[in-house]
Order: sequence, then C-alpha cells, then structure tokens
Amino acid sequence: MKLLQKILGVCVLLGAATFGVAAHAADAAPAAVDRTLKGDAVCTRCHDEGSDKAILSVYKTRHGNKADERTPGCQSCHGSSATHLKDKALPTDVVFGKGKTASPVAVQNKTCISCHQAGKRTHWEGSQHQGQDMACTSCHSNHNNGGDKVLSKATQPEVCFACHKAERAQTHRISTHPIAAGKMGCSDCHNPHGSTGPKLLVKNSINETCYTCHAEKRGPFLWEHGPVTDDCSNCHTPHGSTNTPLLKTRAPFLCQECHSGDHGKNIYSGGNLPSGNITGVNGLQGVANQGAPAQLNGRACMNCHSLVHGSNHPAGAKFQR
Amino acid sequence: MKTNMNRFPVRLSVAAVNSALLAMAMVSGVHAQDATVAELTQPSSTVEIGATYVNPTNSENRNNVVPNSNASNTSYKFGEYNGLQKQGTTAILNFDLRGGGAYDSGDATRYRITGTDLGLETRNLSADFGKQGSYRINLGYDELLRNRSDSYQTPYLGEGGNFFTLPSNWLKPVVPQTAGTATTNTSTGMNFRALDPVAGTANALVAGVVVAPTATTLGTTLPTIRAADLAAFRNVNLYTKRSATNAGVSFEIDNQWNVKASIKRENKTGYKPLSVVTSQATEFGATLADPISQTTDQYNVSLNYRGEKSFFSAEYYGSVFVNDIKSVTWNDVSDMSKTATVAGAPSNQFHQFNLTGGHNYSSATKLVVNASYARNTQDDAFVTAGQNAQFPLGLPVQSLGGLVVTTAFNAKLTSKVNQDLGLTANYKYENRDNQTPVQTYFFQDANEAKSGVNAFLAGQGSNLNMYANRAYSKKLSQLNLDADYKVNRDNAVKVGYDAQQIDRSCNGSWINCADAPTTKENTLRAQWRARINDDLSAKLGYARSQRTVNYDENAFLALVPYASVVPTLGAGVGATQSAYAFMTANGLTGFGPLAGWPTTALTGNAAIYTPNNNIVPQALYGSRNNINELIGLRRFNMADRNRDKVRTSLNWQANEAFSLQASYDYDNDNYQNSVYGLQSAKGRTLNLEGAYDVSEDFSTSVFYTNEDKTSNNAGDAYGANAPLTATNVFVGNAGNTNISPSVCYATIAGKVRDAKVDPCLQWSNQMHDKVDTLGWTFKKKGLMAGKLEMTAAVIWTRARTDIDVTGGSYVANPQAALASVAQPGGIANYYIAASAFPTVTTDTSEVRVTGRYAMDKKSAVRMSYGYSQTKAVDWTYDGYQFGTGTNYLPTNEQSPNYVVQTLGIAYIFAF
Repeated sequence: MKLLQKILGVCVLLGAATFGVAAHAADAAPAAVDRTLKGDAVCTRCHDEGSDKAILSVYKTRHGNKADERTPGCQSCHGSSATHLKDKALPTDVVFGKGKTASPVAVQNKTCISCHQAGKRTHWEGSQHQGQDMACTSCHSNHNNGGDKVLSKATQPEVCFACHKAERAQTHRISTHPIAAGKMGCSDCHNPHGSTGPKLLVKNSINETCYTCHAEKRGPFLWEHGPVTDDCSNCHTPHGSTNTPLLKTRAPFLCQECHSGDHGKNIYSGGNLPSGNITGVNGLQGVANQGAPAQLNGRACMNCHSLVHGSNHPAGAKFQR
Repeated sequence: MKTNMNRFPVRLSVAAVNSALLAMAMVSGVHAQDATVAELTQPSSTVEIGATYVNPTNSENRNNVVPNSNASNTSYKFGEYNGLQKQGTTAILNFDLRGGGAYDSGDATRYRITGTDLGLETRNLSADFGKQGSYRINLGYDELLRNRSDSYQTPYLGEGGNFFTLPSNWLKPVVPQTAGTATTNTSTGMNFRALDPVAGTANALVAGVVVAPTATTLGTTLPTIRAADLAAFRNVNLYTKRSATNAGVSFEIDNQWNVKASIKRENKTGYKPLSVVTSQATEFGATLADPISQTTDQYNVSLNYRGEKSFFSAEYYGSVFVNDIKSVTWNDVSDMSKTATVAGAPSNQFHQFNLTGGHNYSSATKLVVNASYARNTQDDAFVTAGQNAQFPLGLPVQSLGGLVVTTAFNAKLTSKVNQDLGLTANYKYENRDNQTPVQTYFFQDANEAKSGVNAFLAGQGSNLNMYANRAYSKKLSQLNLDADYKVNRDNAVKVGYDAQQIDRSCNGSWINCADAPTTKENTLRAQWRARINDDLSAKLGYARSQRTVNYDENAFLALVPYASVVPTLGAGVGATQSAYAFMTANGLTGFGPLAGWPTTALTGNAAIYTPNNNIVPQALYGSRNNINELIGLRRFNMADRNRDKVRTSLNWQANEAFSLQASYDYDNDNYQNSVYGLQSAKGRTLNLEGAYDVSEDFSTSVFYTNEDKTSNNAGDAYGANAPLTATNVFVGNAGNTNISPSVCYATIAGKVRDAKVDPCLQWSNQMHDKVDTLGWTFKKKGLMAGKLEMTAAVIWTRARTDIDVTGGSYVANPQAALASVAQPGGIANYYIAASAFPTVTTDTSEVRVTGRYAMDKKSAVRMSYGYSQTKAVDWTYDGYQFGTGTNYLPTNEQSPNYVVQTLGIAYIFAF
C-alpha cells in the first residue's frame, strides 16, 4: 500500500510537470524537406566523393535507399541548415558526434528517435545509456564506408568496449562466452537502447535472458536449487572469469557461502590437497592411507552433487541423481 | 573527444576469421578522397579465399600414466570457440554478396548473402532479402563449437549412448597394504591409488605400524590391476556443438503497422563431463562423458504499431526444449554388478505473451507500459526403470506436472520538465508463481540397503529419505526514481532512489521454505558529470544500498515434512512433540543448542531431539543426511547487506591526435549480520587507455586494466559432543591423552566432550583475484606507395587467484594406536593449522600482425601472423591425476598450456 501511494504521488508530480510542459511544448511542425536526390544535391554538391569523410556511403545503407519512402534525405537529419548553406564555416542545424560544434545530445537523438522510437528503442528514455548523455552516434555510424560496426557480432564488442573496458578485459579470461571469438555480440544479451530487464538485458529478468541459450537449466525441476531459480548471477559472472565455468568463486568455497551442513561445514585448506600437509600429515601418515578429500579436489562438491541447476529424478533431492 | 572505436581488433586467436564487413572495408576502404561515387554509393560484394596454417604445441601432458592419445600438436583450449585446435591447413572462405536496386533506381529490393568461416566448425551462412519498406526475409545457419577438454580419459565404454559400462576385465582398484601387516596385506577396500605405479606401491600406516606392500602385492596384485584397468583408459574429447537454423520474415502492412515472425532451431550435441557417485554409502565417484543431444526451438511473432505519438506491440515468444537423453546409467567402479542412474535435464516449454505500449504526451513526456504473461511447463516421466529398490513405497506421481506462471508489469514515465531538469519514474513488478504440485518422495540412496529403524514408518529403515519438493516462487516489486539536473552548461547532477522488495515462498509447502521470505533494499544514487574544459570531462558517481531481511533459520525444514510429525518408532520412541514443535518451542533450529556436553543429563524431548546438546538427528526429521545449517549462517542472496559503489572516469582530449581515458570503480558489499557464510566482497577496477593518431594513416593505442576482487567467507566445522571412549578417539595407550599444540584444548577428553563449540574448528577463507590486462594496437596505412596497410595488436593477461584460510583441523597421531606404546608427550591428536592454497596463475599472450596489400581497386592480398600462448597452473587439476584420490576416478584432465602460431594468406576480390 505504501508503495502504491508513492507511485501515485510520483505520477501526480510528473503529471503536473507534464501538464505544465505540454502547455508550451506544442511541437512546431518540422519544415518540410526534400528527401529525394534532388534535395540531397543541396548538400552533396559540396559533400561529394572528395570529402574527407565518406559522406556518400550512406547510399549503400538502408538509410540511403530512395525507393523506400520512409528513408530520410540529408536535411531530414541535419536540418535545412539555411545558415550553413550561406556560410560554410557555420555548422548545420544538427551536427552529429562529439566536438565543439556538435549539437546537444538531446537534439541529435531526437532526430534519430523521430523515426526509430519504437521496437528496440521503446525503453530508450530514462534508460542507463540515455541517462549518461549518450548519443545514437556514440555507437552508430551512418556515413561509414565499412558499415555500422554494431550491426555485426564480430565488430560490435569493440564499440561497447570503448566505454565498458572492464568487460573487455574479462572477455580475455580463461573462462568466457564466445564474445572475443566473434560468435556472440553484446546485443545477444543486452539491449543498449533500454529494456525492462536489469542491466539492460533483453528479457524481463537475468534468468529469462540466460534461458534463451541455456534452456536445459529452465526446468521447472522436481528438486530446485534455490539460488539457481532466484538469479543465475548469484553464482555466475557472464563476461569472463578465472573460475570455470564463469563462476564468481570456485567450488567448494562458493558452495560454502550458503551451505554449512554435513561436509559443507568442513574446513578445506591447502593442507587438503594431494600434496598438502594434512593429506600426508606432515609426513606422519603414508599417502596410501590418507586420501585428498573429494569435496575439495577435482570437481569438489560437483564430484557428487553434479546436478546443481536442479534434478528431475525422484531421488535427486541432493542433486546427485 | 574521439571515441576509441577501431582501437582494438577482435580476438587474435580467430586467425582465419575476417568478417565480410571488415574485408569489404579493407578492399574498398581507400582514402575517401580517392573514391569514386560508385565506390561510395554502390554496395560491393567480396569474396575471400585463402588458407590458414595452424601450428599448435601443448605441454599439457603432465602425467603419463596413460598417455594422451591426442597428439601434442593439438590445442583444444586454443580452438575452444574457433575450431582451430589441430595442426594443419584450413581453408579460408568468406563471402559477402550484396545486390539489388541501386539507391537511385526506384527499386527498393535489396539482398545480402554472407558466409563466414565456411571451412571451420564455426561456420555461418546468412541470407537477407527484401523490398525495403515492404517486406524482408532472412535465413541463417550457424555453428558454434565449444571445446572443453581433449585430455579427459575414461575407462567407461558407451559414449554415444546413455549406458556406461566398464570393460569385462575391469578389476576393482585396491591397495592391499592399507590393511593387514607387512607379511600379509589384507585390504580389499576400493582405492583408486592402485592405478598409479608410485602412489599405489607406497608404504601405508596401519594402526600406527608401517606396512609395506608384500612381494605378492608388488609383483602380482597391483600390476594385474594396473594392466587390466589402465588399458581401459582412453581419451574421449569433451565438447559442445550447437548448430542453429533460423528463418524470419517481416512485413510492413502500411506506414504504421508491421508484423514479424521468426523461428530458430538449435541442435546441441557433444559430450560434457558428468561427475557421479554410485552409492551414498561408499561414495565412490566417477566422471562420465555425458552425451548431449538437445533441441531448442524458439518462436517470435509480433504485431507492431507506430503512430505519430503512440506505439504498440503485441508479441508472442515461445521456447521448446527437448532433451533426447532422459537419463544416464553406469556401472559402479567398485562393483560392476551395481548400477546407478542420473536423470537428464527435463524437456520443457516456455510460452510468453508481451504487450507493450507507449505514448508521447509531448516531445518532453513519455509513458511506456509493458505487461507479460508466461507459462513454463515440464512433465517428463520420472526415470525410475530398474531402480525400484530405491523407492520402497513407490512414487506419489509418475511425472512432475511442473508449472510456473510468470507475470510481469513495467511502467516508465519520463519527462523533461524544462531545459535543465529531467525526471524518470519506473515501476516494475514480476511474479514467478511456481504452481508445481508438491509431494513427498520416499527413497533410499542408490545401492544403499535399508538399515536401522525408521522413526515414523513401520518396516522402513532410519536411512530412508522422506523429502518434499519445494516449488520456489518469487515476487519482485521495484520503484526507481531519477532526477537529472543541468546545473549549467558544463555541469550536471543526477540523483536517484530505488526501492525493491522481494517476497519468496513455496506453494504447497508445509512451512515457509524461503530463508528470507521478504527482502527489502533501498538505494540512493548520485552522480556528477562535468565538462571541465573543452578537452577534459569527468564523472563521479556513488550509490549506497541497504538490504534488510527477516531471516528464517528453520526454512530448511520445508524439505522434510516429517519434522511436523511426532515420531513413534526407533530413535523417536518417547517423543511427545514433533521435531519442529520442539525446536520452535525452545527457540532452536536443527543445529540445537550452541553448547557443549550438558552438565546434567538431558531428558524427554530434549534427550531425543538434541542428545548431548548435539544437532537434531537426521532420522528424526526423515533425512539420511544432516541438512540443517549453522546458527548465524546467512545465504548471501537473502542476507542483510550494505553495498557501496563508486564510479569515476576522466576523459582528456589533449589535442586532435592524442586522448587519454582513465576510470576507477570500487564496490564493497558487507553482510554485516552474517555470522557465517559470505561476510564481505570487495572489488576495484582501474582502466587506463591512451590513443595517439599520429596522422590519418598512422595510429596507435595502449590500454591497461587492473581488476582486484576479494571475498571473505566464514564457517564452523563443529563436531559432536561425546564422552571419551576408545572408539571415538585415536588414543591407544592410556598415556596418549594430549593435543599438540594445545590451542583450544590440552587433552582429548575436553575436545571430544565439547566438540560442538570447539573454537578451534571455526574457520574463514579469503579469495583474492587479481587480473592485469595490457593491450597495444598499431595501424599504418600508405606503405609501399600507398598499397600496403599494416595492423598489429598485442594483448597480455596475467591472472592470479590466492585463497588464504585461517583455522585448523585435528588429525590423529598415526603413531598412536590401540594397545600401542605411549607416545612422546602423550600426543594422541595434532592440531594442524590451515594453510593457504598455491596461487592459481593464468598467463596469456596474443600477438597478431596483418598486412593488406591492394593489388588494384578490386583486389587485395591479406597476410596474417598470429602467436598465442596460454599457461595455466591450477591446483584443481591436481585432483584429476592418477594417484591423488582414493575415492574418485582420475580423469587425467590437464590445465591449458599451449603455444600456437598461425599463418594465413587470402585473396580478396570485390565486385
């Protein structure tokens, strides 16, 4: 009930703000632009094949396909730019990218969003990237002769790693998803434009996202393992880890963060390794007698409890069946 | 500031991959000023044909008890995701064919057909065809290989099927000298050390006496075992291969409506390691090459509307998973007449309907609402064939009838109040309602005979498991509020508040099943973004979260419904309360009192349920195993927690050519009310990157990342309070009564009596991961009269994992024995302090040099050289080797250790 009251309060506040904004936010209808090649010629007579940047390469892309009536002309995105047409030293109405002459991010994005607001961009407003003043052109490029890098799995991560440097380093760990191998892109799990899921995940929850490739973990199982159904990231770290398979901590220590019953309570130290001092009891007991405990060595707890994601065997309550 | 795109190429180990996108750029990407209009406006097609020679060497064969039959010139780990694990030449075949109407032709038809890695098991084919603005069809085929191990060895036969047998001449491994005398070795107990010629032939200590293997043991018994069993071991490569086919179509009904549909089928095959134990009593483990044969079908259908101010989408997502391997059965390594069975992951289905709508009240204010409903079902028949002995009372049902209904709702209102202030309010609700029926299942552990007297059911053993399944449900409610304010042209601040509540429960459970039925977390966030000057920008952010829970330490009892029944048989005779009633009436959990040996003898229910202040005997709540937890243990995902996060970054564009980026992140989780379990987790990450564009044709960059994470865990290896008897300590001669060193107790008597509260059995461990990553790239165009472009990249990673442990454990003085002589100092037990683990080290180096020589505007030759080295030293693998374990089968798996060089040449033609 308290939560509902909070929600209603916020809605009233935003509603008042909205009403106030709406009163003067009557958007002026954009001036009609000529999206045809004739209209583009206003720009391309100067920004031709001799330009520093591959301006004309936009015609290779879907944006440049004039047979599709939805596609923009130069001025649809950059504005009619009357002042620029008179004096080339002055910038266009909308300058994309970064730099001293770039338009404010909100202005740049508004241009793109005017066509691309639905679909994967539905949750853009208020999303993590939008809240960090990211422009569409921070990741996308229309005038790139090599194509838009984010549209290919092999080259997409490069773009993301420009900001997400920790994840770049993690993709070079001993246990990883095939991101650096070019078989997975960041967008296989994340929607950078905004989503209903945590961490910009494509689905409503972490588990739902993981199950798109790991449906064998979905169940429901007869014997469920609580932290698994709760959240895959309780145990796993998806970008890369020193602990196979993509674990935050290795067994048995990971398991002992939650389990203290039976042999889960035991201390496991370097002495319990095959060459450890407890295994050999400082040389007091022969190797043939003392066995390195299976709870620590090899696959540790998973030497026996291998079905940690759940079991559907009637005798599988201990995840051994 | 320039973003650092194009600064670092894809992974160097992908020697033969050159995406069509990149190839096209390499051929047609001449200087913009030199391009013709056609080159810039017409999509070009490229074909790349060539070969890559791969030369791997690995040094992974540490143990040659059974040599690895895979040659040393293979590296499964190098080829983990790229299929380049073997020495030899592999064809390069990539193509990117584009066509259709020109941009100015009036024909909106476009097509694109690509092929990548066609010579490898990571191949991809895709076709995209459509009339832009009208319809679009896409088809695709993709293979994804994942190598796990080519050093795994097994004596089991039958991979490819689901019944694993041992060879008919398999002999149970025994080390005879671990019992008997030096004259007559008598042990017949299962011991895998027998397979190792060194460990198996070592002397043993039996009742304090050194027992050497007899001549018969050395000359006949052990060699016979090794000859029979080692010959059975052979390599089976463990890998997973996914082959996916997909098809999709989208159709623009008009300018506002479109419909999309797609289907993807993925087949997954291969073998993965499955470690299993045949018998609960003997607990001998083996790792099998578990076959994988699975299919996942995914369907997407959506109807979408885009209006001037509103948009709407109705979507269906379906996922159908089928596992052909319903179960795996195998021979017991110690007794081939016995088998045990493990169930495979059950086939299941997930069907979800989503509705999303949004409305722009103005250019500044927008509301987006999403609702979804999903059903997840699973009803595979239980796998019990041939296992009737495990279920003396039969099964309550023959399949689970599993059903989880998930509903979700999300509403987000954003508003740009004015030029400086933006507000966001988001509410999220998600309810995973597990409606799976709950039953009680009665089972003996595999190959374990009934023993003792069951406290509840006549005619059953005390080792009968009587468990109820728990259908976990989770309900999440979350509110996020954000305000972003532009203080001035160069500064902006953002504050936010998040409130989250999670309710966990189990339908049909006799008591609460969730350790924390409710968790609440509040977060306050603040961020400052500044443009310090035209070249320098910075960000500083901080978030503080507090999570509070109502922890229920008796929630584990949901597994054992007989905890609510008064026992009348066996160890329960005389009880007047159920275990649950007794515990709750006395403020206890299954752990019982935090106390040593009682000063006065316990009577009545206390004597039955917490004998000598010990834990509740498992048989008295229907469990074969001790399932209770320490008082004060908190499972970290449901524990009180304070969390601090700091995020900082600095970007400096020194000049047009040179830029620097630095960032530092800090995370600190403190589980302040967890006496045991995860105590804290901290992490810090430092990133530094510099890019220098010497000229338009020459650029270089360097980056460094340091990640440092620690976590602390605490536990207690408490014992059972007991009187001192000859059978519960290794006392031997009456004079052997002492403990050395006497850290907590001077004598055996004291330690044994109060074993449950022995402070020397408390322990903690600290995990510390440190990883350094250093990378350098270089790109130079315009060499050799402008025809040659060179790129180089180096990346080096150094990872170290240290695990330190405090605490210790008691070990019997092996020289002390029943009826033997008094030991010096009368030492019966040693207290051995815990020791740290050897550092786990992983070092990788990758170098890639590529040259592209443009023969003319349409063709080029690409040459590449790659060097990749990985060396991992990980004590985990010690346990896989022959001679290290007594009760789990060795597999000879090796940690990655390889050097791989690749040399590639390809001809690229564009048209």
